[in-house]
Amino acid sequence: MALFLQDLVNGILAGGILAVVALGFSLVWGIMNIINLAHGAFIMLGAYITYQLFTSFHLDPFASIPVSFVLMFAFGYLVQKYVINYVVRAPVLTTFLLTFGLSLLLVNLALVVWTGDARAVTPSYAGANFSIGPVTVPWAKLATLACALAITALMHWWLTHSKMGRAIRATSMDVGAAQLSGVRVAQVYAVVYGLGAGLAGAAGSLISLSFSLNPAMGDPFIIKAFVVCVLGGLGSVEGALVGGLVYGIVESFGSQYIGTGYQDAVALVVLLIVLILRPTGIIGKATA
Amino acid sequence: MQSRLVSFILALALVVTLLGPTASAPARAAGNTIVFGAAVSLTGRESKEGRLTQEGYDFWKDYVNSHGGLTVGGKKYQVAIKYYDDEDNPQTSARLVEKLINDDKVNFILGPYGSSATFTTAAVVERYKVPMVEANGAAEAIFNQGYKYTFGVLAPARRYLEGILDMGAHMSPPAKTVAISSANDAFSLEVAQGAAAAAKEHGIQVVYQDKYPVTTTDLSTVVSAIKAANPDIILNAGHLTDALLLHKGLKEQNVVAKIYGYSVGPDTPDFRSALGRDANYVFGAAQWSTTAKYRGIPGFIQTSAEYTREFKAKYGHDPDYHNAESTAGCLAFQYAIEKAGSLDPQRVRDALANLDVMTFYGRIKFDQRGLNMYKPMVVNQIQNGELVTVWPAAVAVAKPEYPTPVWARR
Amino acid sequence: MRRVGVGGITGSREAFYATLVLMGVLLFVPQLHNGYLENLFRGILMFGAMSLGWNLIGGYAGYVSFGNVVFFGLGAYTAAVLSAHGLHNVLVAVAVAAVVAVIFATVFGIPILRLRGHYFGIATLGLALATMEIISNLDYFGGGTGLTVRQDAFFSLYYYVMWAVCLGSLLATYAIARSKLGYAFVAIRENEDAAAVLGINTTFYKVAAWAISGIMAGAAGAVFAFANGFIDPDTAFSTDNNIFPIVMALLGGAGTVAGPVTGALILTAINETLWSHFPKIHTIFFGAVIVLVVLFLPRGILHLFRARQTARVFLESLRAYRV
Repeated sequence: MALFLQDLVNGILAGGILAVVALGFSLVWGIMNIINLAHGAFIMLGAYITYQLFTSFHLDPFASIPVSFVLMFAFGYLVQKYVINYVVRAPVLTTFLLTFGLSLLLVNLALVVWTGDARAVTPSYAGANFSIGPVTVPWAKLATLACALAITALMHWWLTHSKMGRAIRATSMDVGAAQLSGVRVAQVYAVVYGLGAGLAGAAGSLISLSFSLNPAMGDPFIIKAFVVCVLGGLGSVEGALVGGLVYGIVESFGSQYIGTGYQDAVALVVLLIVLILRPTGIIGKATA
Repeated sequence: MQSRLVSFILALALVVTLLGPTASAPARAAGNTIVFGAAVSLTGRESKEGRLTQEGYDFWKDYVNSHGGLTVGGKKYQVAIKYYDDEDNPQTSARLVEKLINDDKVNFILGPYGSSATFTTAAVVERYKVPMVEANGAAEAIFNQGYKYTFGVLAPARRYLEGILDMGAHMSPPAKTVAISSANDAFSLEVAQGAAAAAKEHGIQVVYQDKYPVTTTDLSTVVSAIKAANPDIILNAGHLTDALLLHKGLKEQNVVAKIYGYSVGPDTPDFRSALGRDANYVFGAAQWSTTAKYRGIPGFIQTSAEYTREFKAKYGHDPDYHNAESTAGCLAFQYAIEKAGSLDPQRVRDALANLDVMTFYGRIKFDQRGLNMYKPMVVNQIQNGELVTVWPAAVAVAKPEYPTPVWARR
Repeated sequence: MRRVGVGGITGSREAFYATLVLMGVLLFVPQLHNGYLENLFRGILMFGAMSLGWNLIGGYAGYVSFGNVVFFGLGAYTAAVLSAHGLHNVLVAVAVAAVVAVIFATVFGIPILRLRGHYFGIATLGLALATMEIISNLDYFGGGTGLTVRQDAFFSLYYYVMWAVCLGSLLATYAIARSKLGYAFVAIRENEDAAAVLGINTTFYKVAAWAISGIMAGAAGAVFAFANGFIDPDTAFSTDNNIFPIVMALLGGAGTVAGPVTGALILTAINETLWSHFPKIHTIFFGAVIVLVVLFLPRGILHLFRARQTARVFLESLRAYRV
C-alpha cells in the first residue's frame, strides 16, 4: 500500500512537469499546426540557462524561471519570424525536418559550449523532503508542481483576457476571418512560437532541479509531450494539465508493475492504442 | 543537356567522397616511429570519458618519447598516436579503425571507449589480424567470441561490485540484504549479474533487481521500489548520469541504507561536485586509485603516487581510473613489443598473450580469452569530500565508514 | 504547389539512367582492396536502399513516416537471431527479413495508416521507439547487450549483397512508378478521398507501399548486421538510421526514382568532407545543412537542373509557403 501511494505521488509530481513541457508544444501544434521537434532543444537550453545562472551568479533556480522564459521567448520569436514563417503552410515533411535540423544544430552547439559532461543544479535545499505517513514528498518537486499549476493558470488567464490572447484564439479558429478582422497573423504566429519556446525554457528550468543536464536531455520529452497532447487535447491549457497528470500517473504505475525497463514503452503503447482507437475528430484533427 | 549535368553531379560527388577523407594527412608508419591508431569519442554523450582515455594514452606517449623511446630489436623508436573522433557511435568506430589500418597504415590499435564500440572494433581487428589492447570496454561478452587479437587490461564487468559486497559481509553488523539496479546496456547488465552472483556467495539476499532504460530521465519508480524493499546495501550498475539521478532520488524519497555503492560515478570529480555533502559515505568501484600500493617493474613510472604527481603536473587534475587504465593499455604494448623484439603483428600478439608484468596499475596478465582476470577492483569511499581507497585491506589507506548515517547528518 | 515530379512520376529519365551507371561503377569498389572505402560505399548503398524505401511511403504515397528505422532494426535482428541459431547465410537472412517486414507492416499498418499527417508521423516514431525498448528487454534478442553475428571469411560478400539490395530497390521503384501501383500511390498522395471515391482501395495500396518500403529497409538491415558483426538496440534503431534516409530522399528529390540514391551519395560526401575537415564541429554543420536543404531545396537537387532559372528555384518554396 505504501508503495502504491508513493508511486501515485511520484506520478502526480512528474505529471506537473510534463504539463508545462506539453503546454508549449500543444500551443504551437494547435494554433500553427506545426510539430516542433526542436521543443526538446528549447527545454535543454532553458535548463542550461538556469545552470549557468546558478553556477556563475548563484541565482536560485526558481528565480531563474522568468529569466529563461523571457530569453527563450525572444529566441523562439526570432526563429519563427525569420525562419519558420517561411514554411508555416508547407507540408508535414518540411516542418518536421526543419525543426529537426534546428534541434540538431542547437544540441550540437550545446555540446560544443558545455561539453557532454553531466551537469547538475544543486541548491542547498535539493533533496529536502517531508513525510506524510509512509509517503515521502520532496519539497523541490512539490514546488515544481506548484509552479506548473501557476504557469498553467497564468497562461489560461492571459489567453482569455488579453488582446493578443484573443487574437491568438481567433487565428486558431479561422485564419482568414482573423486576418479580415485586422489580426496580423505573422505576428501572432511569432508570438505563439515564442510562447512555446518560452514555456519550454521554463519547463527546462524546473526540470534542472530534478534531473542531470546534458545536451541530449530534451529529446525524450518530445514524445511525451505528444502523448500528453493526444490525451488531453490540442491547444488547450487545461488539456495539457490533465493530460500531463494522467501520463505521469500511468508511467509511474506502468513502470512499477510491468518493469522499469519498459518505462518508455508503456507510454508509447498507450499512445498507439489511443491513436488507433479514437474515433475521428474527438480531440483535434487526426485525419485532416 | 540535363543528363550531362546529372552525371556531372554524380561524378563530382563520387570524387569528393574519395578525396575528402584522404585529404586529411595520413600518418604513415615512418622508419623510426611506431604508430598506434585510436578511435575515441571526443564528441558525443561519452566525450568526457573519451577525453580521459586520450589523456591516458598521450601521457604514456609523451613519457616514453622523452625517456628515449622504445627499444625494439636493438633499435630505438619514437611513438606516435593517430586519433579519430568516433562521436560515440560504434558504427563510426569500426569504420575509423578500418581507415586507420587501411589508409593510415598504423602498426597497432588502441581501444575505443565503451563496450559497444569495443565490440565492433574487435571484429574489425580480428579480420585484419592487427593486435588491439583496449582499456575501456569491460563487457566480458567481447572476450567470449573467440577473438585472438583483442586484449583488455581492465578487470571484467562482473567483478566491479564484488569488492563492495565482500566488504559489506565483513562489516559489523554485517550487511544482509542488497538491492541492485542496473542500466540496460551490456556493461551494466554484466556488472549487475556479477553483483548478484557475488551476493549469493557471501550469503547476502538480493531483495530487488531490475533494469532501466539507458536514456531514462526519471528513476522515481526505481527509488520507490528500492525503498519498499528496505535493503542494507543499495548498488547501482550504470553510468555517471544515472548514478547522479539515482542518488538524488534516494535522498528525495528519504531512502536510508547502510551502504550505497555505484559502479561508475564516485570516482569522477563531477559526482562529488554535483552532490556536495550528499556524496559523502558513497562507495565506488574502481579499476585503480591514486592511493593504490602496487609497485611496477622498471621501464615506466613504478608507483601510483608518482603517476598521480606527474599526471597532475601535466594535465592539471588528478588522474582517475580511466586515465590510468588507458596508460596501462599502452604499457601492455610497450612490454610486449620490447619482449617480442619486433613490430611484426603476429609476434607482438603472441607476446601480449604471454605477458605477465606488474605495473603501477596492478598486474597485467591476459587469460586465454584476452581478458585480464588477475587484477582486482578496489573499493573507494568518499570521506569528507575526498576519495580514499578502503578495500581490500592490502591496498587500503583508510577504514570504511560504516554504516552510512541518515541524510541530514552527512 | 504541385508536387508531381517533372518527367511524370518517375522523375527525370536521364537521372535514372545516370544512377544506373553510378551503380555499375560502384560494383567495382571491392577491387580497390581498401576496407575503409568498401565500408564507406557499402554505407551509401545501405542508405540508398533505406532511402528508396522511405521514398515509396513518404515521397510517392505522401505518408511521411518518421519511424521506418523499425524495419531496418527488425531486419538486422532477424539476421542476428538466425545467426545465433546457427544459420549464417546472409541471403537467407535477407529473405526472412523481407517476410518479417511484410508481416509487421500489415499488422501495424492497417490501424496506423488510418492516421494522417502529423499523427501518422509521430505514431511511426512511437512504434519504432516502443519496438526498440521492448526488444532491449527480451533476452531472446540479447537484451541491452545485443547479439554477435558470425561473419563469412569472404567479407566483400556483404558489399555485393548490399549492392544487390540497393539495385533491386532502385529497379523496383522504377517499375512501381510506371505501374498501376505507382499511380495509385500518387493519387493517394494528391487527394486520398478523391482516390477512394474513384474506386482505389486506399488501405490496400497504403499498406502495400509501407510493406515494400519495409522490405527494402529490412533487407538493408539484415546485410548490415552481418557486415557489422554485432547488433544491439542502439545500433539497430539509431536516430541516424531513421533520419538520414529521409533527408537523403529530400535532398535528391522525394517522389522520384533517382532521387534517393543521388541524395545518399551527396549527403555522405558532404558528411565525410565536413567530418574530415572540421572534426570537432561538423555535427553542427550537419544540422545547418538539413535546415538549408529544407528551406531552399525542398524538391531536391535534381529539380534544380530542370528549372529554367536556377536562382528562382531556391526562393520559390519560401514564397509559396510563407504566411
